[in-house]
Amino acid sequence: MTRSSRDLCWNCQSEVGGEYFCPQCVKVQPASVWSDYFDVFGLPRKLGLDLEDLQRRFYDWSRKFHPDLFQRATPEEQAISLENSALVNTAYRTLRDPIARVEYLIGLEEGAVKGIPPKAPLDLLEEMLEVQEALEAAKASALDAETRKRLMDERARLAERRRAEEERLLDVGREWDALVDGSRAASRDRDDLRRPLLDRMKGILAARAYLTTVINDLSDALGEDSQTHASHRRH
Amino acid sequence: MAYSDKVIDHYNNPRNVGSFPKEAPGVGTGLVGAPECGDVMKLQIKVNVDTGLIEDARFKTFGCGSAIASSSLATEWLKGKSVDEAAKIKNTDIVNELKLPPVKIHCSVLAEDAIKAALADYRDKWGKKEAAAGAAAS
Repeated sequence: MTRSSRDLCWNCQSEVGGEYFCPQCVKVQPASVWSDYFDVFGLPRKLGLDLEDLQRRFYDWSRKFHPDLFQRATPEEQAISLENSALVNTAYRTLRDPIARVEYLIGLEEGAVKGIPPKAPLDLLEEMLEVQEALEAAKASALDAETRKRLMDERARLAERRRAEEERLLDVGREWDALVDGSRAASRDRDDLRRPLLDRMKGILAARAYLTTVINDLSDALGEDSQTHASHRRH
Repeated sequence: MAYSDKVIDHYNNPRNVGSFPKEAPGVGTGLVGAPECGDVMKLQIKVNVDTGLIEDARFKTFGCGSAIASSSLATEWLKGKSVDEAAKIKNTDIVNELKLPPVKIHCSVLAEDAIKAALADYRDKWGKKEAAAGAAAS
């Protein structure tokens, strides 16, 4: 979704037609009216992303919106440039991370109506519980070399599982992108087709979250720093 | 984050930690998880087949303090209730009792889900036998 051509410049009231700077008075326009992070960089809502291209777009807009450039501008322009810079930063950080990108896309596509969270497969939950119980028992006794080895092997096995889930996520992402590419002609069926893809993505993200928790707990027990993901932190 | 005294109490002294053998008579097991944070919660009830009352409950939760406190509290509340009464426990009751902040409400939802799953498992495994026994007795 791009800005509607009816959007008017806040300063001179002339039509800005989705431009970031008014064609008439050259004042910076608030980017918050663009509907999503993909729009900010002029990208389609696809999961396959050229990271170098994204970075170029990010640098480009960062430079154009940089608050330093607006030091002598009016307070309105200063405020807009600051907001735009912040938005561009958040958008870049979100889209750069392949997992955060999927999470963001799901939220975007589902809109205000939050979907029902996927039911975790029971066998996965049972396995996670077993690993946690074994870890608890290991922590209760002395962490000797043999136990450490066992925990590290276990962690390696689970990390491999997580990589496999991430591969599956990429596969679904490619299906999604193919749908986005092909749906311009036949948009009628798009909703029916995208729903199951979004559900599959959610299921994979859930499995990945459980695996990440256990992997981090194993790392903690081994006295190593766990790699925490921004959206996945215990409080 | 500031936890309430009750959460801290349940976290430091969790009640009824442990488990029953899954196939033991009258035992219902609920296993649920929160995909957002990766928490896993197992909650079990043990129903006295003669009285139909929950005589014991156990839990094991791997998650944050609020998730542990929610399930610990749930096991306390379950004891002595009938299966039907137990089904009336709502996550909002847990939120009020533990004074959970909005960001932790999902922990209480998880506990309610675990209760429901345990009750459903109990009914599934033992409900029919109970009904059959009741019919035979009358």
